[in-house]
Amino acid sequence: MSDLTTRAASPTSTAKVTVIPEEFTFVRYDAAEIASIVAELAEQLEIANPIRVVVDETTPLAKVYEEIDAASSDATITLHAESGALEDRKHPMSFSATGARESLGRVLLRAHDRMRSDFADAPGDLDLTLAENAAWDTYCSGRLARMGVETNQQRWRYNHRNRFGFDDGIDVAFDALWNADDLAWSDIVTTAGG
Amino acid sequence: MRQFFPVEDLARDERFVQTNMAERMKDGRTAIDVKESSAKSRGASKRLTPERHDASDAARGLMHGIMVGEIQALEGAGRTAHDFAAGDGTNDTVPFELKLDMARQAWDEARHVEISAKLSDWMGTELGEFAENTVLFEAACSNDPILRLAGVNRALEGLAIDVFTQMKEFGDVAGDPYLEFCEDWMLADEVTHVKMGSDWLRKVTANDPERRTKALEFQQVVDKLFSFGGARGESAESSFSLAKRFRELAGFTDDEVQTISQMDAEALEERKEAVRKYRERVGADV
Repeated sequence: MSDLTTRAASPTSTAKVTVIPEEFTFVRYDAAEIASIVAELAEQLEIANPIRVVVDETTPLAKVYEEIDAASSDATITLHAESGALEDRKHPMSFSATGARESLGRVLLRAHDRMRSDFADAPGDLDLTLAENAAWDTYCSGRLARMGVETNQQRWRYNHRNRFGFDDGIDVAFDALWNADDLAWSDIVTTAGG
Repeated sequence: MRQFFPVEDLARDERFVQTNMAERMKDGRTAIDVKESSAKSRGASKRLTPERHDASDAARGLMHGIMVGEIQALEGAGRTAHDFAAGDGTNDTVPFELKLDMARQAWDEARHVEISAKLSDWMGTELGEFAENTVLFEAACSNDPILRLAGVNRALEGLAIDVFTQMKEFGDVAGDPYLEFCEDWMLADEVTHVKMGSDWLRKVTANDPERRTKALEFQQVVDKLFSFGGARGESAESSFSLAKRFRELAGFTDDEVQTISQMDAEALEERKEAVRKYRERVGADV
C-alpha cells in the first residue's frame, strides 16, 4: 500500500505525518489534505511524534481509534479511521475537512493522553467498553471545542446519555467531563457516570 | 395550481442537498461483509441497537432520513389529494373520501416532520446535515392515483412502519423516553396510513383486476428499492427488520409479507454481488 508523508511546518512541532493510502479509489479524499490537517492538530497539541493515519476507504462506517507504540515522544502514533469519519455527510464519498478535524483530533487527543503516566491503566482503544469509550469521547470533544475545532456538543451529550442514562445527574456528569482539563484515566471513568 | 410535480421541483432551502438512488448505488463502499468465506463481518451485527459501537451516530443518521422521508410523504399525500378530480375512481378520478384521507395523511405527516425535526435536535443533528434521498417522493410521481397508493401508502409507509418499530425499540433499550414515546405515536399513524392504502387499492380496483395487478407489481418494484440494498431484512447484516405484526394490522397478507421479506434478502445479495464486482474492477481486496 502506498503512502504520503508530510512534515508540519511549525517551529513548535516536528510531527511527521504519513497517510495510507496515498491515493483513494472508493472516495474522493486527498491524502495531502488529511496530512496537513493532522499536522496542524499536532502543532496545536505540541505533539512531535511521528504519526501514521490509516484510512479504511472500503467502508462508509465511521469508527476511529488510535494506537501508540510507547508512552514516549519518539513513539509512532497510528490513527485509524473508517472513511465515514472523514466524510461530508451532505455529499457522500466527498471529504469534509471539518469532520476530519473533529474525528482525527479526538483520537489524537487520546494519544496525547496516553503519553501521561496516569493513563498507563487505560485499556487499548479496541478493548474499551462502550461506556469508557463514550466517557473519553466526551472529555476529548470538550477540549477540542475549546481548541477551536467545530464540534456539536449536543451530539456528544446524546452519545453520553445513550451510554450512561437519560437523567439530570448524567447531564451534570457530562458537563463536568466536557469542561475538564488535565484529568487522569481514573478521573474520567469515575466522573462519567455521575 | 400546478398538478403533477416532478421530483426536481421539490422546494428546499439551502440547508438541504438532494441525492437519489442511482447516486447512492454508485458508492462502492459497504458495511456489509462481502467475503463469502469470512465468518465474521466487520462489526458483527448491523442491526441498529444501542450495542453497536456507533449507535448514537447511526440513530442520528436514520432519524434524519425519517425527517426528510416525512417531508416527502407530506408532499406525496398532498399531491394526491390535489392532483386528481373527485369521481368514481375511473378515468383519472378518485373518490372524494380518498381525497379526504390523503388530506388527513398530509396533516399527520406535517406533524411527523415537526416531531422528527425536534427529535433530530435532541439527538444533536442539524437539519440538512445528511444528504436527502428523494427516492420516496419519486414513488409518488405516477399518473395513476392507484399506483401512488401502492407506492406511497403501502411501500413507503410500510417502510416507515419497519423503521419506526426499530427506532422505538432503540429508544426503549437505550432508555431514551422521548424517542420511544414519539416513535410509538408516529408508528400508530403509519399503520393507519398503510391501512388506508390497502383499503382504497382494493375498493377502487374491485372491478378492474388488471389495474390492481399493475399496482401491486409497481409496489413490488418500489418495495425492492426501499430495501436499500438489504438495509431492511431479517439478516443480522441489515439495519432494521420487517415489522411483520404491524404490517398485518395494516392490511398486508402473510403472502405479501413473505414476498417483501424475500425481496429484501435478494436485494442484499444483489448489493453484495455489485460491490464484489466493483472491487474486482478497481483491484481492491475482495
